[in-house]
Amino acid sequence: MTDQLTYPDVVQLAVPFFIAAILIELAWIAIKGRGGRYETRDAVTSLIMGAGNVVSGIVLGFIAWGFFLFLWALTPLDLGTGWWVVALCFVLDDLRYYWVHRFGHRIRWVWASHVNHHSSQHYNLTTALRQTWTGTFTFMMIVRAPLILLGFHPAMVLFVGGLNLIYQFWIHTEAIGKMPRWFEAMMNTPSHHRLHHGRNPRYLDANYAGVFIVWDKMFGTFVPEQEDEKVDYGLVHNLGTFNPIRVAFHEWVGIWRDVTQPGIRLRDRLMYAIAPPGWSHDGSRDTSEGIKAKHLARNPEDADTPGFPSGSKP
Amino acid sequence: MPLGSLVVLVVGGIAGIALLTHVLGWSQPRQLLTEEDASRGWLREFPDTTVTSVTLCANGAAALIASDAGPGLVWPMGADTSARFLTGAQVTVRKDRLIVRLQDYTAPRITLRLGPDDCAAWRDRIRGTT
Repeated sequence: MTDQLTYPDVVQLAVPFFIAAILIELAWIAIKGRGGRYETRDAVTSLIMGAGNVVSGIVLGFIAWGFFLFLWALTPLDLGTGWWVVALCFVLDDLRYYWVHRFGHRIRWVWASHVNHHSSQHYNLTTALRQTWTGTFTFMMIVRAPLILLGFHPAMVLFVGGLNLIYQFWIHTEAIGKMPRWFEAMMNTPSHHRLHHGRNPRYLDANYAGVFIVWDKMFGTFVPEQEDEKVDYGLVHNLGTFNPIRVAFHEWVGIWRDVTQPGIRLRDRLMYAIAPPGWSHDGSRDTSEGIKAKHLARNPEDADTPGFPSGSKP
Repeated sequence: MPLGSLVVLVVGGIAGIALLTHVLGWSQPRQLLTEEDASRGWLREFPDTTVTSVTLCANGAAALIASDAGPGLVWPMGADTSARFLTGAQVTVRKDRLIVRLQDYTAPRITLRLGPDDCAAWRDRIRGTT
């Protein structure tokens, strides 16, 4: 077995590129007066979240790595290191990303980690770097287990995961409208991903793809960006603070408060942790389905249009 | 990449981008200058409510909202807005600032630079409604 395989840490190597690209986007917006918005405290919060994500990886990365090496020792399979193996690993890891990301929006325990990526009301290249500090605690490393058990080396799996993350950096921009039609059909693009960051009822729970948008088309979560509905970026209930600690941990605190409140059943406590965000034992809050339904009650003309369930027309 | 180089790059990058955005004038907080603007900011967060009245402050630093679901506050979050109900709010005045404390981890302390006259009036008003 190829136990000693190593790949470069591509995300660390990409840091100079991230900074250069942000400066280019900034200059573009300043000179052209269009193509996005920046705000100092928002951008600084995003960048601190990005730096914290790197630190968290250094401090806690050994947990996932140890788990992957354990699986690697278990499996009798070894696909080797050929270029086609790396390419196949990249595609399958992107499928893995799609599902982890979908879980990240549909399971509150995972959302507690991912929510900070959506907490900016801006959408620019710094938003791409607004990454979680608490990903390890979601245990979503389990979703990578099949790849390793199939014979993809853990180092390769992490390498393609890094490439995936780097790909997703450039799509966090309003400076690019649409890519060529063939590209939009296959790949995740700024247009597809913009609406994923939208708090508009139409755009909730859509476009989970990392690199290949085809996963959303296959699994029924694709919504095209609507020219007549501008994306309103941020959370359904936007944060009232730029404090990175609160940005990083607010949903975990929310789970703790909900789970430990007095007078509810054990099942309710569990549901507060694993049900979709917005679930409540007394129906006092709205999940994304509830938000969409209320929107349709106010705007029945939107029924059966992209982002709303088919058959929703009264 | 050596850790030292990475740290320098990250710290320098954050500081440089912060400075650049500030110099470009992108640190100016949003102002709420019309009732329509304040209502829009409120309804963005609470679309199921109905705004019954809006109180603007003189310098556009925030707006008090009366809604059918209770009193609330809209205030700038950088270039954007956020809004919260004022249920259980604690308010204090410090010079020209009104400090609103909420039992809300995502908005625990809202500091509004209203000016001394508005500060006292808003403090009394919030205390009278919550």
